[in-house]
Order: sequence, then C-alpha cells, then structure tokens
Amino acid sequence: MTTATAGPGRLTPFRERLPGPVLATGAWFQRTGIAAQLLTLAIVVGIFAMGTGGKYLAWSNVQVILSLSAIPAIFAVGLHPTIVAGGIDLSLQGVASLIAVFVGFLLRNQFNSHDLGLWIILVAMLIGAIAGAVNGLLNAALRIPSFIASLGMGWILYGLAVFMGKAVNVPLLDTRIGNFASANVVGIPLIAVVAAGFTAAVQLVEDRTRLGRYMYAIGGDEVIARQAGINLGVMKVALFTAAGIIYGLASLLLTCRLGISTSRMGLTLLFPTVTAVAVGGVALTGGIGGAKNAALGALIVTALNDGLVLMHVSPYIQQAVNGVVLIVAVALTIDRRKLGFIK
Amino acid sequence: MRRFAWSMLLPALGLILSVTPRLADAAGKTTLVVMIRGLDNPYHANYAVGAKELGKKLGLPVDVLTSEANSQKQFADLKAEIAKTGGNMVVSCDPNEAPDVVPIAKMLEAAGAYWVNWWNKPPDVKVASYPHWVSHVQFDAVGQGYYNAKELFKTFKTPNQGKIIAIQGMLANNAAIGRFQGLQKALKENPGVQLLQWESAEWDTTKAYNATKALLAAHPDVDGVWCANDNMAMGAIQALKEAGLAGKVLVTGTDGNPEAFDAIKAGYMVSTEFQDSRYQAQFGLTMALAAKEGKLDVKSLPSKYRSWMIPGVKVNRDNVDKFVDEYIKSMPKYDLSNFFANWAGEAP
Repeated sequence: MTTATAGPGRLTPFRERLPGPVLATGAWFQRTGIAAQLLTLAIVVGIFAMGTGGKYLAWSNVQVILSLSAIPAIFAVGLHPTIVAGGIDLSLQGVASLIAVFVGFLLRNQFNSHDLGLWIILVAMLIGAIAGAVNGLLNAALRIPSFIASLGMGWILYGLAVFMGKAVNVPLLDTRIGNFASANVVGIPLIAVVAAGFTAAVQLVEDRTRLGRYMYAIGGDEVIARQAGINLGVMKVALFTAAGIIYGLASLLLTCRLGISTSRMGLTLLFPTVTAVAVGGVALTGGIGGAKNAALGALIVTALNDGLVLMHVSPYIQQAVNGVVLIVAVALTIDRRKLGFIK
Repeated sequence: MRRFAWSMLLPALGLILSVTPRLADAAGKTTLVVMIRGLDNPYHANYAVGAKELGKKLGLPVDVLTSEANSQKQFADLKAEIAKTGGNMVVSCDPNEAPDVVPIAKMLEAAGAYWVNWWNKPPDVKVASYPHWVSHVQFDAVGQGYYNAKELFKTFKTPNQGKIIAIQGMLANNAAIGRFQGLQKALKENPGVQLLQWESAEWDTTKAYNATKALLAAHPDVDGVWCANDNMAMGAIQALKEAGLAGKVLVTGTDGNPEAFDAIKAGYMVSTEFQDSRYQAQFGLTMALAAKEGKLDVKSLPSKYRSWMIPGVKVNRDNVDKFVDEYIKSMPKYDLSNFFANWAGEAP
C-alpha cells in the first residue's frame, strides 16, 4: 500500500487507496498490453450474447469462433513483426495462393503421381521463407518502401500461382493435415490450441530474445536503433523471412482444411488479417504490440463477424462494419507524433 | 541541349512504337479478344481455352483480358487493347459487374468494334442503343437457381419439407441475383421448405466455408445448403464434413466444375448446371466476327435476338457419368452455324 508522495495538505489519490490485490491486478493488466483488447472482446461478446438471447454463448458457437479464428490468428502473428518494425508485409495474398497451388500439386491428388505427404510442411515453410526473404531484400537492400515492395511481390506470386494452377481446383486426397486442422481435443478445436501455443511461442521470442528486442528498437526509432549497433538490413530480412514462413504454415493449414487447392485462396485474406492486427492493438506506426495482440485481434474480428451472422445482420452491411472497425482501431492505436503529416 | 535531345528520344520512340502496331493491325488480321474475370476460376479460364481453339482454327490472334475482379482494370485493359489493335478486333465479354457494361459499350462503339456480352447487364440498359453491340446473352439464371433448389428439396427426409440455408454469389452479379430469384420461386411453390438465413460468399470457396460454418452454428438442424455456384459449394461441403453432416445434408451449385461432378458421384452434392464457357467464347466471337464481316445484319435483328438466354446442361446424380464422358473428357465440336438455334427466351 502506497502513501501519498505529495506534501502535507494533499489528499491521497483515489487510485492509491484501492486494496493491494486490486492494484496489483490492475498493474499486471496494464503491463500485458492487452487490457483494452480483452475489454473489447468482453463488450463484443456481451452485446451479441444479449442480442441473440444467449445463443451466441452456446458451446457449439464458441467452438466455431475458436475454430474459425485460429488460422487468421496465425496469419496475423505472421504479419505483425513487420508492422512492429515499422514496415508492413502485404504479400500474404500471393504467398497463400502460391502455397495453395503447390499443395495441390504435391500432395496426393488425382492429376499426377506426387505424394509428398507430411514433407509438404517443409516445402510450405521454404516457399514462404524465400518469398519473405525477397521482400526483405527489396526493402532493405534496394530501399523500396515495404508497402510497395510487398504489395508488388504479392501480385507477382499470385500471378505465378494462377499460371501454375491453370484454373484447376485440385481436391486433396491426402487428408491427414486436413483432419488435424479440423479435429477437436476435449471439445476444443485442436487448431485453436495450436494457434494459441504458436502465439505464446512467438510472444516468448519477442519478450525474451535479442531478436524481439531489436524488433521493438527498430520500430521505436530506426535511427537510434542503427546508432545502437543493430544491423537493420539483416534484421529486416529476418523479420520478412519469418513472416513468410508463418504465412507458409498458415496457408498450408488453410488449404488442407478446405480440402481443395484453389489459386484464388489468398485473395480474401489480406483485409481480415490487417484488420485483426490493427484491432489487436499493434500500431501501424510501429514499435508497439506483440503476437498476443495480433492473435487476440483475430479472435475479436472473428467473434464480431460470427455475431453479425448470428444476429441476421444484413450481409450488405457486414463488410461496412468491418471497415468501420478497422478505421476505429487504427485511429486509436497509431502514434500521431510519428507521422509528420497524416497522408 | 544534349539533355533535351535525350529526353525527347524516349517519348519519340514510344510514339513511333505505339503507332506501328496500329498501322500493322489496321490492315491485318482481326484480333479475337475475350474479357474475363480471371484465369484462376475454372469457368472463366475456359473462356480463354475456347477462344484460343477458335483462334487456332481461324488463324487469328487471340488476346485474353483479365479484370481480376477489378472493374477499373477491365476498362484500362480494354482501352489498351483498342489502342493496340486500332479497333480491328471483336470481343466476347463477361463483365466484372453489371454496370460495367455501359462504359464498355461506349468504348467499343467509339472504336467501331463488334462485341457480344455475357451474363452481366443492368435491365434498363438496352442493347439496341449501341449498333456495335451484337447481342447480350445469358444463361437462364433464374432457371438454374430454380432447378437446383427443386433437386435439393427432393433429397429431404420428407421431400419438399425442410429447412435450408443459402450461400449467394457477388450480390451485384446478374447470375447471383437471377439464381437467388430462382430459389425464391422454388420456395414459393414449396411452402413446406423454409429458408432460414443466407450469406454472401462472393463466389469464393474460403468465404463459403467460413459462412457455412457460422450458419451451421446458428442453425444446426438444416436439411440442405443451396449455393449459387460450385466454388462455394466446395467450401460448404468442407464445412459440412467438419460438422459430420456431409452426405446427409446435401449441397447444390452451378457452373459445372469438374470437382462438382466428383462431389455428385461421391454423394455430397445433388446437382449443378454446366455452362460451357468454351462454347460461350467461341459463340460470342463467331457472332461478332459475322457482324464485322457483314454476314450478320445487327440493325435488322429483333430485340429478342439482341438480349436473350441459352440453356445450360442440367447435371444430377442420374446423368453425371454420361455427362462427364461427353463434355469433360474432351471438348465437343460446336455447331456455330445458326446463332439462334439454342435461343431459350428473351432476357431483360
């Protein structure tokens, strides 16, 4: 219990008169950096629970929300390191589509004799890593703004996917990864557990390793980071490569879960992922937010959209709602001091 | 002075290069142009397949313009194509969205290029207002939605008594609007069937998967899922598989993608309607060519031949094997001699 530090005659601030445990919980809450997001989630759940007369909270619906938010969460965790470091990686559409096509080509299917089995995991990570490394090099070595470089790469990879895919939707005959992606463990979707574990692992890397500290340093202020001796080029390539690898894994899971390889798969992923990252509290200006923010943002967005469906909100305005949410999230999280002029 | 000369060199070169093909093409072969949404969608990609085969047969160059679901790109690409060919082209177009048809019509009218439009056109736009617009053709989308709905209702435990959910396509597409109207018509005729809720998945497999999962959570006791196309039906089937309902709760689509026939044979899907986009491309281009060469007098065509419908091929569990042999394992030879032989009704 603290005492007032001010001189005689000043009242003890209300905050400091709260009991110890409450203060400690409040401080922990603030330290985790996800206080606002958990509150948002609670509000969203509350509104929809009331609006649907409790149907929203039925275990089958909660399962759906957890199940549908897992893969977007992994995509969001993949996207956020580049944003925290002050850039952005918009190549996710292309990477996802390309990996979908490779999966259709290499896993057991009716059109050719390939049967890579579980090695496809390594292939997906490798393709993602290469794509990410190219993005990083374009940004770090050629000094092309990451927004443009990654967007361009995304379209290049998408074009490659369409070219290779030849408009054939390939049903996947090897369903092992697909079954894994849709299984439940004690009633909880396995993929949600995997996503949570993955998020925790990435968060650990961010909190406890040099890689993580450097990432925040670059995001905070690049000039100072360089002066402190951080090799910006290597770090940026590393972050984009990491993003690519994560996109690779998430795309593999999504393709197997859909049971069919389509070259269009990546097209609907970018907007929800960016929204998830922004809603989770990762500032687009960089330096703030971690894996748990990104994953929580994906959960909030999925919970929101599920609630809109359950409440029979017109599909015509569902997309608009997502747009409003994105704008509000970015408005609340960006650091306007970093932007000289709002473009 | 030297810098000025160099800086003028590039634009001059560009000017020369841009004029040369125009002169060459204006005197030369007519280019066959197909405008489609993208090569990533089997239905649209087959427009290109049909066009290329026709180009090979006639010895004419073929250009494929893809909008990538972006109307602005569609217009820009068309402008570039007109500049490249000098207007010496014919077009078979499947516009990204219905309102796009007006700017396209104006551009092609100004370029003097004959063209045929597929699917998307606002009902108040009249083909006769544009002399170079030979025809607007669509499949009977209402009929497609209606046929698939009726097939679906037959599969319920008590036929024509049950509950369904619906997954619609892009809400501004004539195909989506028409097919949903067909579903409504079937629902009106069968008051024992109730449509619980619908969502739009914009023709996309992933979106359909997500939407179906959410809808199944909201309505766990549905008897069938009506989807406006096969891509979305695939996503819906996957969601049903995860809920343990595939094969018990059946799905319908439209388009006639190869994986749809596999799904019908496997018992997950009831029916689809095949639209042969290879035929559509060849038909559209041949008709526009006939107009360009004076063999078809566009001005004298009655309005029912300017905006009309053709039938697709209805495929369900009874005829799927025969159909796959005839249409999928090879490209059939199309009879393009009488354009109106398959006329199935006037379109708005």
